[in-house]
Amino acid sequence: MTERYSFSLTTFSPTGKLVQIEYALNAVTTGSPSVGIKAQNGVVMATEKKQKSILYDEQSIHKVEPITDKIGIVYSGMGPDYRVLLTRARKIAQSYFLQYQESIPTAQLVHRIASVMQEYTQSGGVRPFGVSLLICGWDNDRPYLFQCDPSGAYFAWKATALGKNHLNGKSFLEKRYNEDLELEDAVHTAILTLKESFEGVMTEDNIEIGIANEEGFHRLSPSEVKDYLASIA
Amino acid sequence: MSIMSYNGGAAIAMKGKNCVAIASDLRFGIQAQTVGMDFEKVFPMSDRLYLGLTGLATDVQTVVQKLAFQLKLYELRENRPISPKTFLSVVSNVLYEKRFGPYFIEPVIAGLDPKTSEPFIASCDLIGCPMEPEDFVVTGTCAVQMYGMCEALWQPDMEPDQLFECVSQALLNSVDRDAGSGWGAVVHIVEADKVTTRRLKARMD
Amino acid sequence: MAGGAADCSFWERVLAKHCRVYELRNKERISVAAASKLLANMVYGYKGMGLSMGTMICGWDKRGPGLYYVDSDGQRLDGNMFAVGSGATYAYGVLDAGYSYDLPIERALALGQQAIYHATHRDAYSGGNVNLYHMKETGWEHIGWTDVLKLHYQYKNEKK
Repeated sequence: MTERYSFSLTTFSPTGKLVQIEYALNAVTTGSPSVGIKAQNGVVMATEKKQKSILYDEQSIHKVEPITDKIGIVYSGMGPDYRVLLTRARKIAQSYFLQYQESIPTAQLVHRIASVMQEYTQSGGVRPFGVSLLICGWDNDRPYLFQCDPSGAYFAWKATALGKNHLNGKSFLEKRYNEDLELEDAVHTAILTLKESFEGVMTEDNIEIGIANEEGFHRLSPSEVKDYLASIA
Repeated sequence: MSIMSYNGGAAIAMKGKNCVAIASDLRFGIQAQTVGMDFEKVFPMSDRLYLGLTGLATDVQTVVQKLAFQLKLYELRENRPISPKTFLSVVSNVLYEKRFGPYFIEPVIAGLDPKTSEPFIASCDLIGCPMEPEDFVVTGTCAVQMYGMCEALWQPDMEPDQLFECVSQALLNSVDRDAGSGWGAVVHIVEADKVTTRRLKARMD
Repeated sequence: MAGGAADCSFWERVLAKHCRVYELRNKERISVAAASKLLANMVYGYKGMGLSMGTMICGWDKRGPGLYYVDSDGQRLDGNMFAVGSGATYAYGVLDAGYSYDLPIERALALGQQAIYHATHRDAYSGGNVNLYHMKETGWEHIGWTDVLKLHYQYKNEKK
Protein backbone atom coordinates (compact mmCIF):
# COMPACT_ATOMS: atom_id res chain seq x y z
CA MET A 1 0.00 0.00 0.00
CA THR A 2 2.72 2.45 1.05
CA GLU A 3 4.74 2.11 -2.14
CA ARG A 4 1.79 3.57 -4.06
CA TYR A 5 2.69 6.91 -2.49
CA SER A 6 6.43 6.55 -2.53
CA PHE A 7 6.96 8.75 -5.57
CA SER A 8 8.16 12.30 -5.02
CA LEU A 9 5.40 14.87 -4.62
CA THR A 10 7.78 17.48 -6.01
CA THR A 11 7.48 16.97 -9.75
CA PHE A 12 8.24 19.27 -12.64
CA SER A 13 5.47 21.34 -14.16
CA PRO A 14 5.47 21.51 -18.00
CA THR A 15 7.15 24.92 -17.78
CA GLY A 16 10.09 23.41 -15.87
CA LYS A 17 9.16 24.72 -12.45
CA LEU A 18 8.87 22.77 -9.25
CA VAL A 19 5.71 24.34 -7.95
CA GLN A 20 5.90 22.49 -4.62
CA ILE A 21 9.08 24.40 -3.89
CA GLU A 22 7.45 27.67 -4.85
CA TYR A 23 4.58 26.87 -2.49
CA ALA A 24 7.11 26.13 0.24
CA LEU A 25 8.73 29.52 -0.41
CA ASN A 26 5.28 31.08 -0.11
CA ALA A 27 4.99 29.49 3.33
CA VAL A 28 8.30 31.20 4.16
CA THR A 29 7.37 34.63 2.86
CA THR A 30 4.12 34.60 4.81
CA GLY A 31 5.98 33.57 7.96
CA SER A 32 7.19 36.01 10.59
CA PRO A 33 10.32 37.96 9.59
CA SER A 34 13.93 37.29 10.56
CA VAL A 35 17.08 39.29 9.87
CA GLY A 36 20.77 38.53 10.02
CA ILE A 37 23.71 40.92 9.84
CA LYS A 38 27.43 40.29 9.81
CA ALA A 39 29.69 42.79 11.58
CA GLN A 40 33.45 43.12 11.99
CA ASN A 41 33.53 41.34 15.33
CA GLY A 42 30.51 39.08 15.17
CA VAL A 43 27.17 38.32 13.60
CA VAL A 44 23.64 38.97 14.83
CA MET A 45 20.28 37.50 13.97
CA ALA A 46 16.90 38.67 15.14
CA THR A 47 13.35 37.51 14.64
CA GLU A 48 9.81 38.52 15.41
CA LYS A 49 7.96 36.24 17.82
CA LYS A 50 4.48 37.67 18.17
CA GLN A 51 1.96 35.51 19.98
CA LYS A 52 -1.77 35.58 19.40
CA SER A 53 -2.72 35.61 23.05
CA ILE A 54 -1.33 37.15 26.20
CA LEU A 55 -1.71 33.72 27.80
CA TYR A 56 1.37 32.37 25.96
CA ASP A 57 4.51 31.79 28.02
CA GLU A 58 6.94 33.70 25.78
CA GLN A 59 10.15 32.44 27.39
CA SER A 60 9.68 28.68 27.13
CA ILE A 61 9.77 28.00 23.42
CA HIS A 62 12.42 29.73 21.34
CA LYS A 63 12.98 30.49 17.69
CA VAL A 64 16.65 31.33 18.02
CA GLU A 65 18.52 28.17 18.98
CA PRO A 66 22.15 27.10 19.38
CA ILE A 67 23.47 24.16 17.30
CA THR A 68 27.00 24.12 18.68
CA ASP A 69 28.96 26.44 20.99
CA LYS A 70 29.73 28.58 17.98
CA ILE A 71 26.74 28.21 15.68
CA GLY A 72 23.16 29.45 15.98
CA ILE A 73 20.05 29.18 13.84
CA VAL A 74 16.73 30.94 13.28
CA TYR A 75 13.95 30.56 10.71
CA SER A 76 11.03 32.07 8.89
CA GLY A 77 8.17 29.77 8.00
CA MET A 78 6.65 26.75 9.71
CA GLY A 79 7.70 26.11 13.33
CA PRO A 80 7.27 22.30 13.35
CA ASP A 81 9.36 21.88 10.17
CA TYR A 82 12.03 24.07 11.73
CA ARG A 83 12.34 21.83 14.77
CA VAL A 84 12.89 18.76 12.57
CA LEU A 85 15.77 20.58 10.87
CA LEU A 86 17.11 21.88 14.18
CA THR A 87 17.32 18.35 15.54
CA ARG A 88 19.00 17.15 12.35
CA ALA A 89 21.48 20.03 12.46
CA ARG A 90 22.46 19.21 16.02
CA LYS A 91 22.91 15.55 15.12
CA ILE A 92 25.05 16.46 12.12
CA ALA A 93 27.20 18.72 14.30
CA GLN A 94 27.66 16.05 16.97
CA SER A 95 28.52 13.28 14.52
CA TYR A 96 31.11 15.58 12.95
CA PHE A 97 32.58 16.18 16.39
CA LEU A 98 32.54 12.46 17.13
CA GLN A 99 34.50 11.74 13.97
CA TYR A 100 37.03 14.57 14.08
CA GLN A 101 37.10 15.77 17.71
CA GLU A 102 36.74 19.23 16.21
CA SER A 103 33.78 21.62 16.11
CA ILE A 104 31.98 21.59 12.74
CA PRO A 105 32.76 24.66 10.60
CA THR A 106 29.66 26.76 9.84
CA ALA A 107 30.08 26.29 6.11
CA GLN A 108 30.16 22.49 6.52
CA LEU A 109 27.04 22.48 8.66
CA VAL A 110 25.15 24.65 6.19
CA HIS A 111 26.24 22.41 3.32
CA ARG A 112 24.95 19.34 5.11
CA ILE A 113 21.65 20.90 6.20
CA ALA A 114 21.11 22.07 2.64
CA SER A 115 21.67 18.48 1.47
CA VAL A 116 18.93 17.35 3.83
CA MET A 117 16.56 20.02 2.52
CA GLN A 118 17.35 19.06 -1.08
CA GLU A 119 16.67 15.41 -0.29
CA TYR A 120 13.13 16.40 0.73
CA THR A 121 12.54 17.87 -2.72
CA GLN A 122 13.38 14.62 -4.50
CA SER A 123 12.40 11.77 -2.17
CA GLY A 124 9.20 9.81 -2.28
CA GLY A 125 6.43 10.31 0.22
CA VAL A 126 7.73 13.58 1.62
CA ARG A 127 7.18 17.30 0.98
CA PRO A 128 9.74 20.12 1.04
CA PHE A 129 10.35 21.98 4.30
CA GLY A 130 8.23 25.10 4.75
CA VAL A 131 11.11 27.10 6.15
CA SER A 132 14.10 29.18 5.21
CA LEU A 133 16.90 29.12 7.73
CA LEU A 134 19.39 31.70 8.83
CA ILE A 135 22.53 30.10 10.21
CA CYS A 136 25.23 32.17 11.82
CA GLY A 137 28.53 31.16 13.35
CA TRP A 138 32.03 32.14 14.27
CA ASP A 139 35.00 30.07 13.15
CA ASN A 140 38.26 30.60 11.31
CA ASP A 141 38.49 33.89 13.28
CA ARG A 142 35.64 35.40 11.34
CA PRO A 143 31.83 35.58 11.28
CA TYR A 144 29.61 33.59 8.92
CA LEU A 145 25.99 34.14 7.88
CA PHE A 146 24.05 31.79 5.61
CA GLN A 147 20.51 31.43 4.35
CA CYS A 148 19.14 27.98 3.52
CA ASP A 149 16.02 27.64 1.36
CA PRO A 150 13.46 24.79 0.97
CA SER A 151 14.95 23.94 -2.43
CA GLY A 152 18.31 23.19 -0.81
CA ALA A 153 19.86 26.34 -2.25
CA TYR A 154 22.01 28.27 0.17
CA PHE A 155 23.55 31.74 0.18
CA ALA A 156 26.24 33.55 2.11
CA TRP A 157 25.09 37.03 3.13
CA LYS A 158 26.64 40.11 4.63
CA ALA A 159 23.11 40.97 5.76
CA THR A 160 19.67 39.72 4.78
CA ALA A 161 16.04 39.48 5.76
CA LEU A 162 13.58 36.59 5.49
CA GLY A 163 9.84 36.12 5.84
CA LYS A 164 7.10 38.68 5.70
CA ASN A 165 8.24 42.01 4.22
CA HIS A 166 11.69 40.62 3.47
CA LEU A 167 12.01 42.84 0.40
CA ASN A 168 11.49 45.96 2.50
CA GLY A 169 13.85 44.54 5.08
CA LYS A 170 16.53 43.97 2.46
CA SER A 171 16.28 47.44 0.96
CA PHE A 172 16.45 48.88 4.49
CA LEU A 173 19.62 46.86 5.11
CA GLU A 174 21.09 47.92 1.78
CA LYS A 175 20.81 51.52 2.95
CA ARG A 176 22.13 50.86 6.44
CA TYR A 177 24.86 48.30 5.85
CA ASN A 178 28.55 49.14 5.70
CA GLU A 179 31.64 46.93 5.75
CA ASP A 180 33.11 48.09 9.06
CA LEU A 181 30.03 47.72 11.20
CA GLU A 182 30.59 46.82 14.88
CA LEU A 183 28.49 44.08 16.47
CA GLU A 184 26.70 46.52 18.78
CA ASP A 185 25.63 48.63 15.80
CA ALA A 186 24.59 45.50 13.95
CA VAL A 187 22.26 44.52 16.79
CA HIS A 188 20.66 47.96 16.60
CA THR A 189 20.34 47.73 12.83
CA ALA A 190 18.77 44.28 13.12
CA ILE A 191 16.16 45.54 15.57
CA LEU A 192 15.46 48.58 13.39
CA THR A 193 15.00 46.33 10.36
CA LEU A 194 12.41 44.28 12.21
CA LYS A 195 10.80 47.46 13.44
CA GLU A 196 10.23 48.63 9.83
CA SER A 197 7.41 46.17 9.45
CA PHE A 198 6.56 45.55 13.08
CA GLU A 199 2.93 46.04 14.04
CA GLY A 200 2.32 47.12 17.61
CA VAL A 201 4.86 47.66 20.33
CA MET A 202 8.18 45.81 20.25
CA THR A 203 9.15 44.31 23.62
CA GLU A 204 11.73 41.87 24.96
CA ASP A 205 8.98 39.22 24.82
CA ASN A 206 8.03 39.51 21.17
CA ILE A 207 11.44 39.48 19.52
CA GLU A 208 14.43 37.17 19.87
CA ILE A 209 18.06 37.99 19.18
CA GLY A 210 21.09 35.75 18.87
CA ILE A 211 24.72 36.74 18.43
CA ALA A 212 27.85 34.84 17.49
CA ASN A 213 31.30 36.25 18.11
CA GLU A 214 34.72 35.17 19.31
CA GLU A 215 33.20 33.86 22.55
CA GLY A 216 30.70 31.72 20.65
CA PHE A 217 26.98 31.82 20.04
CA HIS A 218 24.26 32.79 22.51
CA ARG A 219 20.68 34.00 22.59
CA LEU A 220 20.25 37.34 24.33
CA SER A 221 18.31 37.21 27.59
CA PRO A 222 15.06 39.23 27.79
CA SER A 223 16.78 41.83 29.97
CA GLU A 224 19.61 42.26 27.43
CA VAL A 225 17.03 42.65 24.66
CA LYS A 226 15.20 45.19 26.81
CA ASP A 227 18.39 47.24 27.16
CA TYR A 228 18.91 47.28 23.41
CA LEU A 229 15.30 48.33 22.84
CA ALA A 230 15.67 51.11 25.40
CA SER A 231 18.82 52.42 23.71
CA ILE A 232 16.98 52.62 20.39
CA ALA A 233 13.88 54.42 21.60
CA MET B 1 53.45 -16.63 16.94
CA SER B 2 51.90 -13.19 17.19
CA ILE B 3 50.46 -11.71 14.01
CA MET B 4 51.86 -8.34 15.07
CA SER B 5 55.43 -9.63 14.70
CA TYR B 6 54.91 -11.78 11.60
CA ASN B 7 56.63 -9.25 9.31
CA GLY B 8 58.68 -7.26 11.82
CA GLY B 9 59.39 -3.53 11.71
CA ALA B 10 59.82 -0.38 13.74
CA ALA B 11 58.68 3.24 13.58
CA ILE B 12 59.31 6.22 15.82
CA ALA B 13 58.35 9.89 16.01
CA MET B 14 59.79 12.67 18.14
CA LYS B 15 59.05 16.29 18.93
CA GLY B 16 61.71 18.99 18.72
CA LYS B 17 61.75 22.79 18.79
CA ASN B 18 59.45 23.90 15.94
CA CYS B 19 60.08 20.55 14.23
CA VAL B 20 59.18 16.88 14.37
CA ALA B 21 61.01 13.74 13.30
CA ILE B 22 59.52 10.48 12.08
CA ALA B 23 61.50 7.42 11.08
CA SER B 24 61.18 3.72 10.31
CA ASP B 25 63.30 0.70 9.46
CA LEU B 26 63.17 -0.84 5.98
CA ARG B 27 62.82 -4.56 6.64
CA PHE B 28 60.04 -6.62 5.17
CA GLY B 29 60.33 -10.17 6.43
CA ILE B 30 58.26 -13.30 6.86
CA GLN B 31 59.13 -14.48 10.32
CA ALA B 32 62.91 -15.15 10.24
CA GLN B 33 63.23 -14.72 6.49
CA THR B 34 64.19 -11.26 5.30
CA VAL B 35 62.42 -10.76 1.98
CA GLY B 36 62.76 -7.03 1.30
CA MET B 37 65.00 -4.21 2.45
CA ASP B 38 63.14 -1.25 0.97
CA PHE B 39 59.81 -1.42 2.80
CA GLU B 40 59.27 2.09 4.18
CA LYS B 41 56.79 2.28 7.01
CA VAL B 42 56.46 6.07 7.04
CA PHE B 43 53.97 7.59 4.59
CA PRO B 44 53.47 11.26 3.71
CA MET B 45 49.74 11.95 4.10
CA SER B 46 49.82 15.65 3.22
CA ASP B 47 52.21 18.59 3.06
CA ARG B 48 53.47 18.49 6.67
CA LEU B 49 51.75 15.35 7.93
CA TYR B 50 53.37 11.91 8.16
CA LEU B 51 52.02 8.54 9.23
CA GLY B 52 54.14 5.62 10.47
CA LEU B 53 52.61 2.14 10.51
CA THR B 54 54.08 -1.11 11.80
CA GLY B 55 52.60 -4.56 12.22
CA LEU B 56 51.15 -6.92 9.64
CA ALA B 57 52.43 -5.65 6.27
CA THR B 58 49.20 -6.38 4.37
CA ASP B 59 47.23 -4.36 6.92
CA VAL B 60 49.82 -1.58 6.81
CA GLN B 61 49.06 -1.15 3.10
CA THR B 62 45.29 -1.47 3.53
CA VAL B 63 45.14 1.05 6.35
CA VAL B 64 47.39 3.54 4.61
CA GLN B 65 45.15 3.43 1.53
CA LYS B 66 42.00 3.71 3.62
CA LEU B 67 43.36 6.73 5.48
CA ALA B 68 44.60 8.40 2.30
CA PHE B 69 41.06 7.97 0.93
CA GLN B 70 39.46 9.47 4.04
CA LEU B 71 41.95 12.30 4.01
CA LYS B 72 41.34 13.24 0.39
CA LEU B 73 37.58 13.21 0.98
CA TYR B 74 38.07 15.55 3.92
CA GLU B 75 40.32 17.93 2.01
CA LEU B 76 37.95 18.11 -0.95
CA ARG B 77 34.85 18.49 1.23
CA GLU B 78 36.30 21.15 3.50
CA ASN B 79 38.68 22.72 1.00
CA ARG B 80 41.47 23.00 3.57
CA PRO B 81 44.35 20.86 4.85
CA ILE B 82 43.61 18.56 7.80
CA SER B 83 45.25 19.32 11.13
CA PRO B 84 47.33 16.50 12.65
CA LYS B 85 45.04 16.41 15.69
CA THR B 86 41.97 15.93 13.51
CA PHE B 87 43.80 13.28 11.51
CA LEU B 88 44.49 11.43 14.74
CA SER B 89 40.79 11.16 15.41
CA VAL B 90 40.16 9.94 11.85
CA VAL B 91 42.79 7.23 12.44
CA SER B 92 41.26 6.38 15.79
CA ASN B 93 37.77 6.04 14.28
CA VAL B 94 38.95 3.96 11.32
CA LEU B 95 40.66 1.54 13.72
CA TYR B 96 37.82 1.36 16.24
CA GLU B 97 35.42 0.54 13.39
CA LYS B 98 37.15 -2.85 13.41
CA ARG B 99 37.06 -3.24 17.21
CA PHE B 100 36.15 -6.92 17.07
CA GLY B 101 38.37 -7.91 14.16
CA PRO B 102 41.12 -5.34 14.13
CA TYR B 103 43.79 -4.38 11.63
CA PHE B 104 47.03 -5.71 13.07
CA ILE B 105 48.89 -2.41 12.94
CA GLU B 106 49.95 0.30 15.36
CA PRO B 107 50.26 3.81 13.93
CA VAL B 108 52.34 6.83 14.89
CA ILE B 109 51.56 10.30 13.57
CA ALA B 110 53.92 13.25 13.23
CA GLY B 111 53.36 16.63 11.68
CA LEU B 112 53.05 20.37 11.99
CA ASP B 113 49.70 22.12 12.29
CA PRO B 114 48.94 23.64 8.87
CA LYS B 115 47.88 26.95 10.46
CA THR B 116 50.14 27.42 13.47
CA SER B 117 53.06 25.09 12.56
CA GLU B 118 52.79 23.70 16.09
CA PRO B 119 54.67 20.36 16.32
CA PHE B 120 52.44 17.33 16.85
CA ILE B 121 53.10 13.66 17.55
CA ALA B 122 50.70 10.90 18.53
CA SER B 123 50.19 7.17 18.47
CA CYS B 124 47.35 4.66 18.68
CA ASP B 125 47.00 1.05 19.70
CA LEU B 126 45.57 -1.39 17.15
CA ILE B 127 41.95 -0.69 18.08
CA GLY B 128 42.31 3.08 18.08
CA CYS B 129 43.08 4.30 21.59
CA PRO B 130 44.84 7.62 20.93
CA MET B 131 47.82 8.94 22.88
CA GLU B 132 49.46 12.37 22.59
CA PRO B 133 52.64 12.54 24.64
CA GLU B 134 55.01 15.51 25.01
CA ASP B 135 58.17 13.83 23.81
CA PHE B 136 58.18 10.70 21.59
CA VAL B 137 56.10 7.81 20.32
CA VAL B 138 57.30 4.38 19.22
CA THR B 139 55.76 1.32 17.62
CA GLY B 140 56.97 -2.01 16.29
CA THR B 141 58.63 -5.25 17.32
CA CYS B 142 61.41 -3.35 19.13
CA ALA B 143 59.15 -0.82 20.88
CA VAL B 144 60.67 -1.65 24.26
CA GLN B 145 64.18 -1.02 23.00
CA MET B 146 63.06 2.30 21.48
CA TYR B 147 61.42 3.38 24.73
CA GLY B 148 64.73 2.72 26.47
CA MET B 149 66.76 4.64 23.90
CA CYS B 150 64.32 7.56 23.84
CA GLU B 151 64.17 7.86 27.62
CA ALA B 152 67.97 8.15 27.58
CA LEU B 153 68.47 10.41 24.55
CA TRP B 154 65.43 12.69 24.29
CA GLN B 155 65.55 16.22 25.64
CA PRO B 156 63.20 19.16 25.20
CA ASP B 157 63.63 21.84 22.51
CA MET B 158 66.06 20.03 20.21
CA GLU B 159 67.01 21.83 16.99
CA PRO B 160 66.36 19.93 13.72
CA ASP B 161 69.93 18.58 13.41
CA GLN B 162 70.01 17.49 17.06
CA LEU B 163 66.62 15.86 16.61
CA PHE B 164 67.89 13.98 13.55
CA GLU B 165 70.85 12.62 15.52
CA CYS B 166 68.64 11.68 18.45
CA VAL B 167 65.96 9.87 16.47
CA SER B 168 68.54 8.09 14.28
CA GLN B 169 70.56 6.82 17.23
CA ALA B 170 67.41 5.74 19.06
CA LEU B 171 66.13 3.81 16.04
CA LEU B 172 69.40 2.22 14.88
CA ASN B 173 70.46 1.02 18.30
CA SER B 174 66.99 -0.37 18.97
CA VAL B 175 66.66 -2.32 15.72
CA ASP B 176 70.11 -3.84 16.26
CA ARG B 177 68.76 -5.43 19.43
CA ASP B 178 65.74 -6.88 17.60
CA ALA B 179 65.84 -9.74 15.10
CA GLY B 180 62.63 -8.63 13.41
CA SER B 181 63.60 -5.11 12.38
CA GLY B 182 66.46 -3.17 10.84
CA TRP B 183 68.06 -3.73 7.43
CA GLY B 184 68.22 0.02 6.76
CA ALA B 185 66.29 3.04 7.98
CA VAL B 186 64.70 6.24 6.70
CA VAL B 187 64.33 9.48 8.68
CA HIS B 188 62.14 12.51 7.92
CA ILE B 189 62.75 15.82 9.68
CA VAL B 190 59.69 18.05 9.27
CA GLU B 191 60.11 21.81 9.64
CA ALA B 192 57.76 24.67 8.73
CA ASP B 193 59.74 25.61 5.60
CA LYS B 194 61.10 22.21 4.56
CA VAL B 195 61.12 18.45 5.01
CA THR B 196 64.48 16.64 5.00
CA THR B 197 64.52 12.92 4.21
CA ARG B 198 67.62 10.80 4.78
CA ARG B 199 68.48 7.09 4.44
CA LEU B 200 70.68 5.72 7.23
CA LYS B 201 73.53 3.25 6.85
CA ALA B 202 72.56 0.35 9.08
CA ARG B 203 73.64 -3.15 10.02
CA MET B 204 72.34 -5.64 7.50
CA ASP B 205 72.06 -8.72 9.72
CA MET C 1 77.59 -25.34 16.42
CA ALA C 2 74.13 -23.90 16.34
CA GLY C 3 70.95 -24.26 18.38
CA GLY C 4 70.56 -24.07 22.13
CA ALA C 5 73.50 -22.02 23.40
CA ALA C 6 73.79 -23.86 26.70
CA ASP C 7 73.43 -27.29 25.06
CA CYS C 8 76.12 -26.49 22.54
CA SER C 9 78.64 -25.05 24.97
CA PHE C 10 78.07 -27.82 27.51
CA TRP C 11 78.32 -30.78 25.14
CA GLU C 12 81.30 -29.31 23.41
CA ARG C 13 83.00 -29.16 26.81
CA VAL C 14 82.05 -32.76 27.60
CA LEU C 15 83.20 -33.93 24.17
CA ALA C 16 86.55 -32.18 24.62
CA LYS C 17 86.99 -33.96 27.94
CA HIS C 18 86.28 -37.36 26.40
CA CYS C 19 88.71 -36.67 23.59
CA ARG C 20 91.41 -35.72 26.06
CA VAL C 21 90.80 -38.84 28.16
CA TYR C 22 90.97 -40.95 24.99
CA GLU C 23 94.30 -39.35 24.13
CA LEU C 24 95.72 -40.09 27.63
CA ARG C 25 94.55 -43.74 27.59
CA ASN C 26 95.67 -44.51 24.04
CA LYS C 27 98.67 -42.20 23.61
CA GLU C 28 97.09 -41.16 20.34
CA ARG C 29 94.69 -38.47 19.16
CA ILE C 30 91.10 -39.58 18.65
CA SER C 31 89.88 -39.83 15.07
CA VAL C 32 87.26 -37.42 13.73
CA ALA C 33 84.92 -40.35 13.16
CA ALA C 34 85.26 -41.53 16.77
CA ALA C 35 84.95 -38.05 18.24
CA SER C 36 81.79 -37.34 16.31
CA LYS C 37 80.37 -40.71 17.26
CA LEU C 38 81.06 -40.01 20.94
CA LEU C 39 78.96 -36.85 20.69
CA ALA C 40 76.21 -38.56 18.69
CA ASN C 41 75.96 -41.38 21.24
CA MET C 42 75.91 -38.99 24.18
CA VAL C 43 73.12 -36.80 22.84
CA TYR C 44 71.20 -39.88 21.67
CA GLY C 45 70.89 -40.81 25.35
CA TYR C 46 68.96 -37.60 25.87
CA LYS C 47 66.76 -38.01 22.80
CA GLY C 48 63.28 -36.55 23.25
CA MET C 49 64.30 -34.53 26.29
CA GLY C 50 64.58 -31.27 24.39
CA LEU C 51 68.25 -30.92 23.51
CA SER C 52 68.73 -28.64 20.52
CA MET C 53 72.00 -28.80 18.62
CA GLY C 54 73.27 -28.87 15.09
CA THR C 55 77.01 -29.37 14.89
CA MET C 56 79.78 -29.98 12.45
CA ILE C 57 82.91 -31.71 13.65
CA CYS C 58 85.96 -31.47 11.51
CA GLY C 59 89.56 -32.45 11.96
CA TRP C 60 92.49 -34.23 10.43
CA ASP C 61 93.51 -37.78 11.30
CA LYS C 62 95.10 -40.90 9.76
CA ARG C 63 92.36 -40.95 7.15
CA GLY C 64 93.08 -37.34 6.18
CA PRO C 65 90.60 -34.52 6.51
CA GLY C 66 87.29 -35.52 8.16
CA LEU C 67 83.95 -33.76 8.38
CA TYR C 68 80.89 -34.99 10.22
CA TYR C 69 77.45 -33.62 10.88
CA VAL C 70 75.92 -34.44 14.27
CA ASP C 71 72.63 -33.15 15.60
CA SER C 72 70.61 -33.51 18.79
CA ASP C 73 68.29 -36.08 17.22
CA GLY C 74 71.30 -38.38 17.15
CA GLN C 75 71.75 -38.09 13.40
CA ARG C 76 75.39 -38.44 12.29
CA LEU C 77 76.61 -38.02 8.74
CA ASP C 78 79.96 -37.66 7.06
CA GLY C 79 80.34 -35.49 4.01
CA ASN C 80 82.28 -32.84 2.17
CA MET C 81 80.07 -29.85 2.90
CA PHE C 82 77.58 -28.96 5.62
CA ALA C 83 75.80 -25.97 7.09
CA VAL C 84 73.84 -25.87 10.37
CA GLY C 85 71.61 -23.44 12.19
CA SER C 86 68.56 -21.33 11.40
CA GLY C 87 70.38 -19.71 8.49
CA ALA C 88 71.75 -22.99 7.10
CA THR C 89 69.45 -23.03 4.08
CA TYR C 90 70.75 -19.64 2.95
CA ALA C 91 74.33 -20.80 3.48
CA TYR C 92 73.67 -23.92 1.39
CA GLY C 93 72.39 -21.70 -1.39
CA VAL C 94 75.70 -19.88 -1.59
CA LEU C 95 77.79 -23.02 -1.06
CA ASP C 96 76.01 -24.99 -3.78
CA ALA C 97 76.55 -22.16 -6.22
CA GLY C 98 80.29 -21.94 -5.58
CA TYR C 99 81.45 -25.33 -4.32
CA SER C 100 83.64 -27.91 -5.98
CA TYR C 101 85.77 -30.56 -4.22
CA ASP C 102 89.02 -29.26 -5.66
CA LEU C 103 88.53 -25.63 -4.72
CA PRO C 104 91.84 -23.93 -3.84
CA ILE C 105 92.06 -23.12 -0.16
CA GLU C 106 91.74 -19.32 -0.52
CA ARG C 107 88.60 -19.74 -2.59
CA ALA C 108 87.17 -22.24 -0.10
CA LEU C 109 87.74 -19.87 2.80
CA ALA C 110 86.17 -17.00 0.89
CA LEU C 111 83.19 -19.18 -0.04
CA GLY C 112 82.63 -20.23 3.58
CA GLN C 113 82.76 -16.63 4.74
CA GLN C 114 80.43 -15.53 1.98
CA ALA C 115 77.97 -18.31 2.80
CA ILE C 116 77.81 -17.27 6.44
CA TYR C 117 77.50 -13.59 5.55
CA HIS C 118 74.53 -14.27 3.27
CA ALA C 119 72.93 -16.41 5.95
CA THR C 120 73.25 -13.58 8.49
CA HIS C 121 71.80 -11.19 5.95
CA ARG C 122 68.64 -13.12 5.12
CA ASP C 123 68.08 -14.86 8.44
CA ALA C 124 66.76 -12.60 11.19
CA TYR C 125 68.13 -14.89 13.90
CA SER C 126 71.71 -14.94 12.63
CA GLY C 127 74.23 -12.11 12.58
CA GLY C 128 77.12 -10.33 14.17
CA ASN C 129 80.53 -11.61 13.05
CA VAL C 130 81.87 -14.31 10.77
CA ASN C 131 84.39 -16.56 12.46
CA LEU C 132 86.63 -18.36 9.97
CA TYR C 133 88.99 -21.32 10.55
CA HIS C 134 91.20 -23.36 8.29
CA MET C 135 91.60 -27.02 9.36
CA LYS C 136 94.96 -28.33 8.19
CA GLU C 137 97.04 -31.44 8.74
CA THR C 138 99.03 -29.50 11.35
CA GLY C 139 95.94 -28.34 13.21
CA TRP C 140 93.53 -25.49 12.88
CA GLU C 141 94.36 -21.91 12.01
CA HIS C 142 92.12 -18.99 12.93
CA ILE C 143 91.71 -16.92 9.79
CA GLY C 144 89.40 -14.14 10.82
CA TRP C 145 86.70 -12.60 12.93
CA THR C 146 84.86 -10.16 10.67
CA ASP C 147 81.92 -7.90 11.36
CA VAL C 148 79.23 -8.61 8.77
CA LEU C 149 78.62 -4.86 8.36
CA LYS C 150 82.10 -4.64 6.83
CA LEU C 151 81.45 -7.68 4.64
CA HIS C 152 78.13 -6.21 3.47
CA TYR C 153 79.72 -3.12 1.98
CA GLN C 154 82.74 -5.09 0.75
CA TYR C 155 80.51 -7.46 -1.25
CA LYS C 156 78.37 -4.54 -2.37
CA ASN C 157 81.41 -2.76 -3.82
CA GLU C 158 82.67 -5.95 -5.47
CA LYS C 159 79.37 -6.29 -7.31
CA LYS C 160 79.76 -2.89 -8.96
